[in-house]
Amino acid sequence: MSAQARFSRTALLAISSILLLLYVLAPIAWLVSSSFQSEREIVSKPPHWLPQEPTIGNFAAIFTSHERSVTYETRRATDPASGGFVPSTAKNLLPSLRNSFIVACTVVVLNLLIGLPAGYAVAKIRFRGRQASIYAILATRVIPDIALVVPFFLFIRNLGLLDTLASLIVTYLAITVPFSVFILINYFESLPDELDKAARVDGCSRWQTMTKIFLPLVTPSIVAVILFAFLVSWNEFLLALMFTQTPQSQTLPIVIASFTSDFTISFSFINAAGVLAILPPVILALIFERYIVAGLTVGAVKG
Amino acid sequence: MTANILSPLRVQPARRFGYDERSALLFVLPLAVVLFAVAAFPIAYSFYISLFNLRLTRPNRISFVWFDNYVNVLSDPQFWEAVQRTVTFSVMAVVTTTVLGLLIALLLNEDFPGRRILSALLLIPWAIPSVANGLMWKWIYDSSHGALNGALFQLGFINSYMVWLGDASRTLALIANAFVWKEVPLATILLLIGMKAIPAELYAAAKVDGANAMRCFLHVTLPALGPSFALVIVYETMMAIRHFDLFFLLTEGGPGDASHVIAWHIYVETFRSLSFGTGAAMAYILALATLGLSYVVIRILGRRL
Amino acid sequence: MTVASISFRGVTKRYAGAVVAVNHLDLEIYDKEFVVLLGPSGCGKSTTLNMIAGLEDITEGELRFDNVIVNAIPAHKRDVAMVFQSYALYPHKSVYENIAFGLRMRRVDRAEIDRRILDAASKLAISHLLQRRPSQLSGGQRQRVALGRAMVRQPAVFLMDEPLSNLDAALRISMRAEIKLLHTAMQTTFIYVTHDQAEALTLADRIVVMSDGVIQQIGSADEIYERPRNIFVASFLGNPQINYLHGTIDAVNGTPLFQCRELRIPLPPTAASYVGREVVLGIRPEDVSPHYDPPGVLSISGKVESVLPVGSDRFLGLRVEDRTIFVRVGKESHYREGERVTLGLTPERLHLFDAKTGVTLRGGGA
Repeated sequence: MSAQARFSRTALLAISSILLLLYVLAPIAWLVSSSFQSEREIVSKPPHWLPQEPTIGNFAAIFTSHERSVTYETRRATDPASGGFVPSTAKNLLPSLRNSFIVACTVVVLNLLIGLPAGYAVAKIRFRGRQASIYAILATRVIPDIALVVPFFLFIRNLGLLDTLASLIVTYLAITVPFSVFILINYFESLPDELDKAARVDGCSRWQTMTKIFLPLVTPSIVAVILFAFLVSWNEFLLALMFTQTPQSQTLPIVIASFTSDFTISFSFINAAGVLAILPPVILALIFERYIVAGLTVGAVKG
Repeated sequence: MTANILSPLRVQPARRFGYDERSALLFVLPLAVVLFAVAAFPIAYSFYISLFNLRLTRPNRISFVWFDNYVNVLSDPQFWEAVQRTVTFSVMAVVTTTVLGLLIALLLNEDFPGRRILSALLLIPWAIPSVANGLMWKWIYDSSHGALNGALFQLGFINSYMVWLGDASRTLALIANAFVWKEVPLATILLLIGMKAIPAELYAAAKVDGANAMRCFLHVTLPALGPSFALVIVYETMMAIRHFDLFFLLTEGGPGDASHVIAWHIYVETFRSLSFGTGAAMAYILALATLGLSYVVIRILGRRL
Repeated sequence: MTVASISFRGVTKRYAGAVVAVNHLDLEIYDKEFVVLLGPSGCGKSTTLNMIAGLEDITEGELRFDNVIVNAIPAHKRDVAMVFQSYALYPHKSVYENIAFGLRMRRVDRAEIDRRILDAASKLAISHLLQRRPSQLSGGQRQRVALGRAMVRQPAVFLMDEPLSNLDAALRISMRAEIKLLHTAMQTTFIYVTHDQAEALTLADRIVVMSDGVIQQIGSADEIYERPRNIFVASFLGNPQINYLHGTIDAVNGTPLFQCRELRIPLPPTAASYVGREVVLGIRPEDVSPHYDPPGVLSISGKVESVLPVGSDRFLGLRVEDRTIFVRVGKESHYREGERVTLGLTPERLHLFDAKTGVTLRGGGA
C-alpha cells in the first residue's frame, strides 16, 4: 500500500472512529453531565455542556429522599429552579432498584436451571421428542410480547398475583427462556459427542456427564445467557407496566417512567435517576463484552 | 443458524423407556413446563379471549362473538391509520438501522488500534434500559432546555428554540432516531459476524481481477452478506412494528395522533378502554402480520442475494 | 464384573426411518480374545461396539455378558473401557485427572488410583506429561493418554474404535505392536474396530468382517484371507486388491475349466459340479509365478500395460481379455511395457465365486 493510500486509510478510520464515538457517547455523556448539574444550571440557554458548578445533590436526593416527606406545602414552597424539588415518588427509587435486582437475578438463575439440562439433552441425547422440542423453542421465539400481555394479565389477575414480583419473574421466563435455551443448545452441539461417550463409559450418569464434563466447557454460553437474561429482565418495561401497580413490586424502569410524565419534576433529578438505571447493565455489558459475541456466534459460524 | 441445530437426527423408536430416554425427558421437563405455561398456553388463551367481547368495564356481560372483534378491528379506520404510521416508522427505523449498522460494521471489520474499545463502547446503547433511552432523548428533544435546541442554536442553525416532539410532522422521525440509536449495536454485531465469515479468498480473487475497494464491497461483501441482511431486517422490523416503550415515554401517542402506532393502539384499547376482547384480537393480528412479513422478507432476500 | 463372554443374539439396531445399522447379529466373543470388527464405513462395526458399551440402545435381540441380558443396563454401569478415534480427552483436566476420572467415578481409593496411574504412565512412557493439558500434547501422546485412561480401569472388556486412524503411518505401525503387547499383558478381552485390513490381520485372534450391518465372515486372519466366504471378504482383505475375471465354467473332455473369452484355465475336478454357471475367478496379485511348464499347467498371459515399482515390490498391470489385472513379480525382473507375458498359476490358490450371489464355490480355493 502506497504511503498516500495508507494515509488516506488512517485518516478515514480516524474520522469514522471519532464520529462513531460521538454518536454512541454524546447522548450518554449529556445525560451524565446533566445529572451533575443543579436545577438552576440545567435550564441555561444555551446549555452548559460541562457542569460549571457540579453538584452531587441530585444523587443525594435519590438516596435520602425516603427520609424527606414531601407534602403539598413543601411542594409548593420549593422552587424547581433552585434545585430543591424532589418528587414524592423518588422514595420509590431505591426499593425499585431492589425489586429489579431480585427479579433479574431470579430470572437468570431460573434460566440456567431450566436451560442447561435441556440444552444438554437436546444436543447430546437422542430421544423421542427431540425434534419436537427444537421446533417448539423456535416457534415461541417469534411471539411478540404484546400478544402475551392480555392473557397473562387476565390469568395473573385471576390468580390474585397482580402486583407481585412473582408475576414478573414468571412472565420474564417467557421472553428469556427460548433464546437462552437456543444459545445453550448451539453451544453444547459444538462440543464433540465423543466427550459425552467417554464420560459415560468412565462411569458418569447423564447428570454427572453434564455437570462434571460439559459444564466447565460451556462457560462462554453461560455467561451470554446470564448477560442476556439479566439485561432483558432489568430493562423490561411493557410487562412490568401491566403487572405492577404499587411501589412494592415496581421495578426500576417503571419508577423512572413515572418521573418523565410529571412535568414539575426537576430534570436534573430525572437525569440522575437515569444514570443510576444505566449503570448496572452498562457495567455488566462492558465486563462481559467478549462473551456476548462468543456466545452468539458459536452456532452461527459453525453452521 | 438453525442448520446447526437440526443436524442429523436419528431418533430411536425404543420399545420401552430406556435410561437415556428417561434422563432426557427429565432434563427437558422444566423447559417443557415453561414453554407450555408461558408460551403455548397464553397464545391459545389469547386467541380464545379474542373471540369474546370481553370488556373489563362490563365484566358481567361477556358473550361469544366469533370473529366479530377481528372484523371490528379491521374495519376501523383508526386501526389502519395506526398501521400506516407504524409502517412509516418501521421503514424509517429499519432502513436507518441497517445502513448505519453496515457502515459501523465496515469500520469495525478493519484492524486498527482502539478497535476493541470502540466495539465494547458500542454495546452501551444496547445495554441501557429503554426507559433510560426514552428519558435521555426526551431531555435532548426538550423544547425549552434540550440539547438538540442548544446545539443547533449554538452552531447557528436556528435562531430560537423549536418545538420538536410536539411538532406532528417530526414526531415519528424523532422517535425513530431514538429507536435506531439503541438498535444499531445489535445490527452491527450481526452484520459484523456475517462479514467475518466471508472467506478471504473471495477478496483475493477479486483483487486479482482488478477490483478496487468499492468494487470489492459491491461485488463481494454485499452479496455475501445477504443472509445477514435478511436476519437484521427481519429482526429489526419485528422490533420496530411492536415497539411500545418509546411511544409511551416520549409522546404517549401524541401530539394528537401523530405517533399513535399499532402498539400504542393496542395498549390504549386494552388498558385504557379496557376492551380486552378487541385488544387481544389486535395483538393477534399484529403477531400474524409480523410472522407473515418475516417470512416474505426471508424469501425475497434469501433468494436474491 | 469379570466377563467371560459377550454374545449377541439376533441383535438389530434400527434408527428412525428405515435405517438399519445392524441386522440380526449373532456373535460370540470369548474371554481374553482379541476380536477385530472389520469393514467399510457404515457397515455397522462402530454401532456394534457402541452397543457393547451401552452407548447405543438395542432395538431388537439380546446382548448378554456372561449369559446375563444387559440390554437395559446403562453405559455407566457396565464395566467396559473405551478408546475413541478422536481420543476424547477432557480438555479442562490435566492428563493425570483425565486418567484418574473413571476411577474416581467408581470410588477407587486415592492411593490405588495413584499407583495405577503411575504404573500405566511408565508403561506408556507418558510419566513426564501427567501435569499437562491435552491441548499441549501431540496426537501420538494424546493417544497414549487415551490408552492409559482405559488401562487403569482394569475393565472386563477393552473397546477400541479406530484408535489409530488419526495417527501418521509410521506411528500407526509401531502403535499396532504396542497394542498387541498390551493385550498379552492385560489378559483381557479386546474388541477393536477398524476399516484397515492390515491392522486387522496383524492384531486379531479372530476377525469379524461386516458389511451393511451383516456379518460376512468370522475367522482367524489366515482363514479369512485364504478362504474367504464371498467376494466381499475376498475383496476387502488383501492389498492390492484381488483381481477378478468374469466368465463361465465349461467342461472339455470331462475337465472343468474357466472360460473368459479366449482365456481358458483348467480347474480341479471338484469344480465339475458348477459347469454352466457364470462365475467370477479371483486371483490375488501375489499368487502368480514366473515359472510354468508348457501345456497343461495353469498359466495366464497378457500384455504388459504398466510397470509399477513399489519400493520392496514390483507390480505389473497386465491386460488380459477385457480387463487389467495386477500381479506381483520379482524386484529384479525385467518386464517392459508392451511385452507379452505368461505367468504361472497355482490351482489351490484360485478363488471361484458365483457371479450372482458372490458366494465362494467350493473347489475354487484351497
